[in-house]
Amino acid sequence: MEKDRIKQAYLDFVLNEGHPPQSVFKLTQQLGIAEQEFYTHYPNFEAIDRELWADFGHRARTAAASEPVWEGYSSREKLLAFYYTLLEILKQNRSYALMSLRRSLKKMPGLTPRVLDDFRQDFEIFVSDLLAAGRVSGEIANRPLVQDGYPRFFWQQALFVLGFFAKDDTVNFERTDAAVEKAVTLSFDLVGRNTLDSAFDFVRFLARR
Amino acid sequence: MDEPQTSLPTTKVARAARFAKTGLSVGANYVKHYAKRAVGADSTTDDLHAANAAELYGALSEMKGSVLKVAQMMAMEKNLLPTAYADQFAKAQYQTPPLSGPLVVKAFRDAFGQSPYTLYEEFEPEARQAASIGQVHRAKKDGRQLAVKVQYPGVAASIKSDINLVKPIALRVMGLSESQVRPYLEEVEARLLEETDYALELRRGQEMAASCAHLPHLQFPAYYPELSRVRILTMDWLPGQHMKEFLATKPSHEVRNQLGQALWDFYQFQLNALHQVHADPHPGNFLLSTDNGGTVGVLDFGCVKEVPIDVYTLFTALLAPETFADESILEGLLAEAGVLRPTDPAALRALYLRTLRVSLELVGRPFRQAIFDFGDPTYVQSLYALGDDLMADPDLKKQREPRGSAHFIYLNRTYVGLFALLTELGAVVATNVTAAVAEAR
Repeated sequence: MEKDRIKQAYLDFVLNEGHPPQSVFKLTQQLGIAEQEFYTHYPNFEAIDRELWADFGHRARTAAASEPVWEGYSSREKLLAFYYTLLEILKQNRSYALMSLRRSLKKMPGLTPRVLDDFRQDFEIFVSDLLAAGRVSGEIANRPLVQDGYPRFFWQQALFVLGFFAKDDTVNFERTDAAVEKAVTLSFDLVGRNTLDSAFDFVRFLARR
Repeated sequence: MDEPQTSLPTTKVARAARFAKTGLSVGANYVKHYAKRAVGADSTTDDLHAANAAELYGALSEMKGSVLKVAQMMAMEKNLLPTAYADQFAKAQYQTPPLSGPLVVKAFRDAFGQSPYTLYEEFEPEARQAASIGQVHRAKKDGRQLAVKVQYPGVAASIKSDINLVKPIALRVMGLSESQVRPYLEEVEARLLEETDYALELRRGQEMAASCAHLPHLQFPAYYPELSRVRILTMDWLPGQHMKEFLATKPSHEVRNQLGQALWDFYQFQLNALHQVHADPHPGNFLLSTDNGGTVGVLDFGCVKEVPIDVYTLFTALLAPETFADESILEGLLAEAGVLRPTDPAALRALYLRTLRVSLELVGRPFRQAIFDFGDPTYVQSLYALGDDLMADPDLKKQREPRGSAHFIYLNRTYVGLFALLTELGAVVATNVTAAVAEAR
């Protein structure tokens, strides 16, 4: 419970001030707890940021999976549903989300910001499960050598979506919705059975002679 | 077209790119056509039209929204387009690829803060029908069967840029200049924008149902304001089938006549008593059933044309029998309508007068008879022949400039659509009861 209080106090501080507290001491003083108490839960403020993001992802997955149609969705639709739910959650926390995204994306464009580390781990597990299910249903082509890299590929897509969201200035982030629809469709076109597989098969056939 | 929605070009650039691609493919089709001709192969112009039409349809259905709407309008004017185009566009009236399920859920969350699966007792994730700027899902709540229309995101915002995209192509096809068509495009744009406002449609649907309640053999859905928002519209699910499926069940003459009569009375009442018409009479907006010897369910009040009183007077006068007895009356009316201009040379004036006299005589024929048989093949054929003649007339071909009041666009569309429905039904209709219906009010 103390952990949640610390997390909430940190979030409130960042929202009010626009930056993290100067020190752990300041935050714990405000909360009226001993400084050591903080360190039993978190090593530093960045850890709270990472956990906040991981929470967003977790909530998005839980909410999306609680839709009664979830079981009937294909892997593509499941990923779409995840993104749309995530965007909804981010919109509810848009000040914090935009602030932390803009701050970290500016620093290292293209690279994964540290605050998304935990979010990323969960996301890649989630995507691996989706892909595995997709391979069973035939939605996704089985490509033994390449497919281990897929989760990383999808993570780049997630980064693209988050970056797009951070820069979107349309009403209700409508362009982000369109970006999600397009990006997910493209990625599933790529991992689904397509021309590449036939070409590869053909080349392998010729090489065997 | 049962593939799930795979892409939704919402930005102007994306749509422009899509159009450019179509332009290229159409160009390529011409190249193929002439290449085939050059080597002496048998490539008919029909092949070419078919290939081009398929390309265009692909582009249009991917773009959705207003472009699709324009396509539908063009499809209704079958005479103006080569048949291959018309057939492809007619497809757009029934089937466009649906939005992805999660995006539909999202539209509901944005509007109601909850998913359709909690808002309704039952909600079918698969769309039953495309409605050009949206799609229709079937749902159930409190024991009622509901039809739920969901609008594609970003449609309202994209109408203006869509028209700007279609314009150069339309101008090219019809050989017109921008200033000549501006008033007409403005009229179309205004109607299209109205159509994206589901709150307006809801109000109009309720009003129309109330004022037409006394007309027999018509059925209107009830609308549910508490389950509707700007982009979502909930109404009753009406029984019945669309024209094609209904006719496939081989309904009797009596049934078809009753349906035709109901449609005719509905439109005459709207025009004469309400001075506003349901201006979207394409087959997708009517549900036909054999209940009570034939009942028409009327859907979609997104496109309602309000007819100003002077336009109404002009329109009815143009169809009156006296107009044909006296050339000078016709001339006066056409001048009033802006079809004839004082600056026109005498030869041109005579040409316009001659063609319009012929077409008005033919188109207005049902209005001048007590009972009219829309199933009469000679009438349908002469309508089509008229279109062909007008297209082929070399003098008229030179006169490509559109004329007449912009209000006539939707009035014409309404009656072209109505005639198309009635001829397809092959209904015998008591047409000259207009006065009686107006008085019954």
